[in-house]
Amino acid sequence: MIKDITIGQYFIGDSVLHRMDARMKIVLVIAYIVSVFLCKNFWSLGLMVAFSAICILISKIPFKMVLKSLRPIVIIVLITSILNLFYVRGGTALVDWHFIHITTKGVYTAIFMSVRIISLVAISSLLTYTTTPTALTDALERLMAPLKLFKVPVSTLAMMMTLALRFIPTLVEEIERITNAQKARGADISNGGFIDRIKALIPIIVPLFISAIRRAYELADAMDCRCYTGGPGRTRMKQMKLNSRDFVSAAAVAIFIAAVVLLNIRFGAVLA
Amino acid sequence: MPIISVEHLTHLYNKGTPSQNTAIEDISVEIEKGELVGIIGHTGSGKSTLVQHLNGLLKPDSGKVLIDGKDIVNDKKAAREACFKVGLCFQYPEYQLFEETVEKDIAFGPKNMKLPEDEIKKRVVRAAAFVGLKPELLEKSPFDLSGGEKRRAAIAGVIAMEPQVLILDEPTAGLDPSGRDKILGMIKNYREQTGSTVLLVSHSMEDIAKIATKVLVMNCGKIEMYGSVDEVYSQSGRLREIGLNVPQVSKIFDILRQNGLKLDNAYTVDRAVELITKAAANK
Repeated sequence: MIKDITIGQYFIGDSVLHRMDARMKIVLVIAYIVSVFLCKNFWSLGLMVAFSAICILISKIPFKMVLKSLRPIVIIVLITSILNLFYVRGGTALVDWHFIHITTKGVYTAIFMSVRIISLVAISSLLTYTTTPTALTDALERLMAPLKLFKVPVSTLAMMMTLALRFIPTLVEEIERITNAQKARGADISNGGFIDRIKALIPIIVPLFISAIRRAYELADAMDCRCYTGGPGRTRMKQMKLNSRDFVSAAAVAIFIAAVVLLNIRFGAVLA
Repeated sequence: MPIISVEHLTHLYNKGTPSQNTAIEDISVEIEKGELVGIIGHTGSGKSTLVQHLNGLLKPDSGKVLIDGKDIVNDKKAAREACFKVGLCFQYPEYQLFEETVEKDIAFGPKNMKLPEDEIKKRVVRAAAFVGLKPELLEKSPFDLSGGEKRRAAIAGVIAMEPQVLILDEPTAGLDPSGRDKILGMIKNYREQTGSTVLLVSHSMEDIAKIATKVLVMNCGKIEMYGSVDEVYSQSGRLREIGLNVPQVSKIFDILRQNGLKLDNAYTVDRAVELITKAAANK
């Protein structure tokens, strides 16, 4: 269960997507998400799926890993498609039996929504797979830099995010270590009824909280010792620089969005 | 019949990902009942991985682990039994304390064994006495204890299960010299009084020389040597090659011997003192 968390799970690699500037990746993923909702007929939807597949291929992330990131949304996809299937009315009726009414529009909406959600999550997880958490927050900080004008403490927020992401693997490791220690004392955490299982979590959660708080104090001290005062005047170790590959990918995404729009105009909309 | 028997054990971490690496490879070893085995090797040599197989916490990618003649890899019931037969105390065990009182925390293991209440009580008192925790500490919250006391309380939690094999992973790490000696003395007593087998994982050649009957040296996921303290410590050249160091006293004794003094090997300060006084008396 713990291992299903894919946020901040960087997958070591050396593909073009790995080497791209994180800022560009974030901007392009946002553009892509917009385009996902622009698809209005099967042609543009097909193009979008093909484009996503190409991105996954380029990233060289094993297909299994991408599927793993989709596991948590299976239920959401199922529920939205079922609701859409039965409650969206319009177009020709396919089934009209007692209280069950299925229409073409319902079927289409269900297909579009599930394909959209799946590609959305797949591509966003591709972003976290190919970008280290530090690069990601660094990029976010830069992208949000204009907000400083409105007195938003961008760099502090970014630091908090970096720390939070940084500690996910550490805490996961800690959970494993504590779980092992308690298992070695005969704790049975995977059997028994609901209440038993919740009770079985106490020996893990209490030490986890204690160690998390201890770590937080230690970290605060360490940051103090190195004279961290936050925000202004801090320089960076890694400078970000846009490269030719970033502009090429930007052009590719631009062409893709244009193609989606063109296909929408050419073939009309299936969904109103 | 050996109490622990490991046959061709191999374990990989992160199998099937780019970061896959072999933690231990084709390890075979037999450990006789009642031994106190010191397991030594530098960081990443596979010591901790090996001991986690012995109570079924880790499953091998290939190979067999037999505890008391029973296969604990494939037999689920034997695996559950192994959990109590082989008590494993991890590094920095004080981070596993969670109960309201020390007493309840020590009782956690025995309770999981479904022992009757009065038996649990007896065992808690016995275990606390073994590790040298004063009875009045039992009523305290484990988080109010000092570092060394916490460590001993956590070890008592494992001892209270009265396992046939006690495995301690770096039990003295981060303790001051007196805390260290207390724990080592306690381990020695425990073995002598209960006759159980003890495995002690450590970085300290000195600690192992003090109490072990046998030494198992690991290097890069394989067993480099397995034998008595004398057999292993006399190969100081090979030990140095794999990044380990013989105790400082032995180095001094090597130099003394090179200078023509006739002395036996010594690996602990106590033994060295004994030998030198004898040599001085004979002169």
